[in-house]
Amino acid sequence: MTLYFSNPRYWFLILIVCCIFVSTTTILIASSSDEGINKEAIFGPGDRKHGYDQENYVTNSLSVTSRKGKQADLLQFVYQTPLGLPKMVMPDGKPITEEQVSLGRRLFFDRRLSLNDTFSCAICHIPEQGYANNELATAIGFEGRSVKRNSPTIYNVGYYNIFFHDGREDSLEQQVWAPLLARNEMANPSIGYVINKIKGIQEYKGLFEAAYDGKGPTMETVGAALASYQRTLNSANSRFDQWYYGKQEDALTDDEKAGFELFIGKAKCSACHLINDEYALFTDQLLHNTGHGYNVSMGIKPEKTRVQLAPGVFVDVDNEIIDSVRQTPKQNDVGLYTITQNPFDRWKFRTPILRNVALTAPYMHDGAFTSLRQVVEFYNQGGVPNELLSPLITPLNLTEEEMGQLVDFMFALTGDNIEILVADGFAAPIGDIRSQDPNWAHDTEFEVK
Amino acid sequence: MKEMLPFKWARGAVASALIGAVALVGGVPTAVQADETCMSPYMAKIVGQEDYVYVWTLGVEGMGDEQDKLVTISVNPDADDYGEVVHILSVGGRNEAHHSGLSDDRRFLWAGGLDSNKIFIFDVHTNPGKPGLHKVITNFVDKTGGMVGPHTFYALPGRIMVSALSNNVDHGGRTGMAEYTSEGEFISAHWFPTDDDLRGAQKTGNFADGYGYDVRVLPRRNAMFTSSFTGWSNYMMDFGQMLSDPEAMKRFGNTMVVWDLHTREPKKVFDVPGAPLEIRCAWSGLNNYCFTTTALTSKIWLIYEDENGEWQAEDVADIGDPSKVPLPVDISITADDQGLWVQTFMDGKTRYFDISDPHNPKQTYEYKVGSQVNMISQSWDGKRAYFTTSLLGSWDKTGKDDEQWFKLYHWNGKKLDHQFTIDFYQLKLGRAHQMRFGAYSLYSQKPNSSDTMMSQIEK
Repeated sequence: MTLYFSNPRYWFLILIVCCIFVSTTTILIASSSDEGINKEAIFGPGDRKHGYDQENYVTNSLSVTSRKGKQADLLQFVYQTPLGLPKMVMPDGKPITEEQVSLGRRLFFDRRLSLNDTFSCAICHIPEQGYANNELATAIGFEGRSVKRNSPTIYNVGYYNIFFHDGREDSLEQQVWAPLLARNEMANPSIGYVINKIKGIQEYKGLFEAAYDGKGPTMETVGAALASYQRTLNSANSRFDQWYYGKQEDALTDDEKAGFELFIGKAKCSACHLINDEYALFTDQLLHNTGHGYNVSMGIKPEKTRVQLAPGVFVDVDNEIIDSVRQTPKQNDVGLYTITQNPFDRWKFRTPILRNVALTAPYMHDGAFTSLRQVVEFYNQGGVPNELLSPLITPLNLTEEEMGQLVDFMFALTGDNIEILVADGFAAPIGDIRSQDPNWAHDTEFEVK
Repeated sequence: MKEMLPFKWARGAVASALIGAVALVGGVPTAVQADETCMSPYMAKIVGQEDYVYVWTLGVEGMGDEQDKLVTISVNPDADDYGEVVHILSVGGRNEAHHSGLSDDRRFLWAGGLDSNKIFIFDVHTNPGKPGLHKVITNFVDKTGGMVGPHTFYALPGRIMVSALSNNVDHGGRTGMAEYTSEGEFISAHWFPTDDDLRGAQKTGNFADGYGYDVRVLPRRNAMFTSSFTGWSNYMMDFGQMLSDPEAMKRFGNTMVVWDLHTREPKKVFDVPGAPLEIRCAWSGLNNYCFTTTALTSKIWLIYEDENGEWQAEDVADIGDPSKVPLPVDISITADDQGLWVQTFMDGKTRYFDISDPHNPKQTYEYKVGSQVNMISQSWDGKRAYFTTSLLGSWDKTGKDDEQWFKLYHWNGKKLDHQFTIDFYQLKLGRAHQMRFGAYSLYSQKPNSSDTMMSQIEK
């Protein structure tokens, strides 16, 4: 988040993207002419903190009430695949329907789908924050419980073969149940609890039956609906795609083109973030040890932490003091090993899809890096050496200019339909508890003294 | 000085829990209240001896019944049960119990959950020694259009103003305040000014962040004041984790807003960097000013009306050594506007500032109350000061430093004199947070009319 606001190139790129919006597809032309959508609110948190590290920081905040959107025809991004993405393969070969997507969207934004009615999927996958969370390194769940990993974006999530940073699921339909049931995420006590709660909420009456051939809410249909919605959030036809696949020579700047050459050449990024002749997912669907996880687990902790107190005001605080108010020790994370118990899998994490990466800071599985520049610097030094370091990770010897060009290239990976997808998220109904919803307080008659 | 015996407390707690549980299961209502010098001027005051202190208490997972509760403590030295927990009312869930406020007629105590967004309205007048649950508002977020974390409950005539801390779209700090009738019906929502929607306010400095925390009024100047803290993601987060997260540390409020009290329109947004929290306004008709303290930057700020009738904000004093981040939390102004108590959470101290010159507060006394301290409530005559410990469920200290108690001290103008302590962990009650006072005198009742828990036990 910090990066794309702090980098003047971002604003230039946004300008370019906006021009492309107007001049390319009819879809975007239609969207751009929509009234009532505050386009300023589309890219990044409305609570803008650009320059907060400086004493002369000036707010440029947006009101929550300005966050208005427009429902989109999301299926178009499934069946009219954006340039640069392959055709989406449905797990059972059946097409997904508008009813299923609409239902999944409603579930995704429903805060009642947590034990205490405060947590939806969208609280960690926030539309204007890249359907990730730009404001936290690692997620915070039910009752403030710590999650040890960064909220990944769900843009293009339907193209993954493996899910979670440690790859422990291989089906989106199954994946969606893990956050619903995790005690440090949405904390529902059981599958049946979720199903029965949905059955008790008036807004869902008949929706499952209409979407799934008469089937009501079940473990299968809840998973399918949430997965169907997420499979529509496909975003490509970026300026890179228009240049590389669309053969529009002027879609990228010279620096961005140079960044691409580095990406597939000297910097070796494409060894894991794959690009092929027909499409680019920017992932090999594998997990690697880059040394970052190893360093977090095994590195020596500094004695002090620099803590920001106000714009431009910092203090160095003894970690002993910070530890005195840490409720639970920082959770260790050994990555894929946790799943396989194979010692050779220690500190391996999934290769993320890089599309829209400029929108999804902070980076790495634990959100440790706040900018793409920091990520590039990390790989330029060859990650962190350890006995299990991927052989693909070696010092790159990139110059300052080259690192800047790589970052420029990654900024060109932002899809051209972000505005539509975010506006659709803004338009989604947020499910907050109402007086008729299931809750003990609604079933208790208080005596008025 | 009266140090209470653990057995006595334990007996009271068990009995209270039993009775509270029975009352809840049976649908019998119960209730609660705090600091006389920091209450709404629209409210009747207890100017003599208070009979009870109602402590809004956070449930702790793995302790006792694990849920939030209103704990009633007898504090009248003439009472047989002086210094005892006399009633416990568990409300269901860990809602992140935080602040509470009385209605203008002091018949009801509103207490909020910063996490669940529930508002519990307790009847504290029918039997001040045995509060009852009158009503639970569960749809605060829906009714307000997305405000999260009901914090301050502040009485206006026939109304309760509820300031919030967060929102339902990103759990960040942009928020507003909501107005309810004293009966608990939602009236309107007032969002705090942001740059794109200042709502007619003047941005006097660099910041208009839209964050919220406390609300207070000076009716004689038709002024209302709000301060700013942080959103759900931060106030619910493990404190140590948050301090280590540079992105999270950018998400604190840096503003105060002066409002037109009657029209509810924001007039001026002031830069008050470092999370200004509690607001305490002077009582004298000649003193047109309020104080706040900034949690992160450890300063006392004065919001005052200048000779031209314009409101201004001024940094007037440091609290302790700001470089050590003592984390000032609750404050309490004396009824004569001459003193300000300031609690600093990290070092567990209470500090008394002479504010006879409001532009130059001077610390004249400090005392370490415990390993951590948050809230203070003082009697109207300033002779009694009550203290509790908990800041937020995920921010309190850990291990042996996680003391959770309620303490009474007497203040003679020079030093604090300890009277008694109730250990909330020993009684398996949870984390002691905000205090409100109750008195039979408010309702023309006599103490004997109370059917207290202890009296029931005796029977």
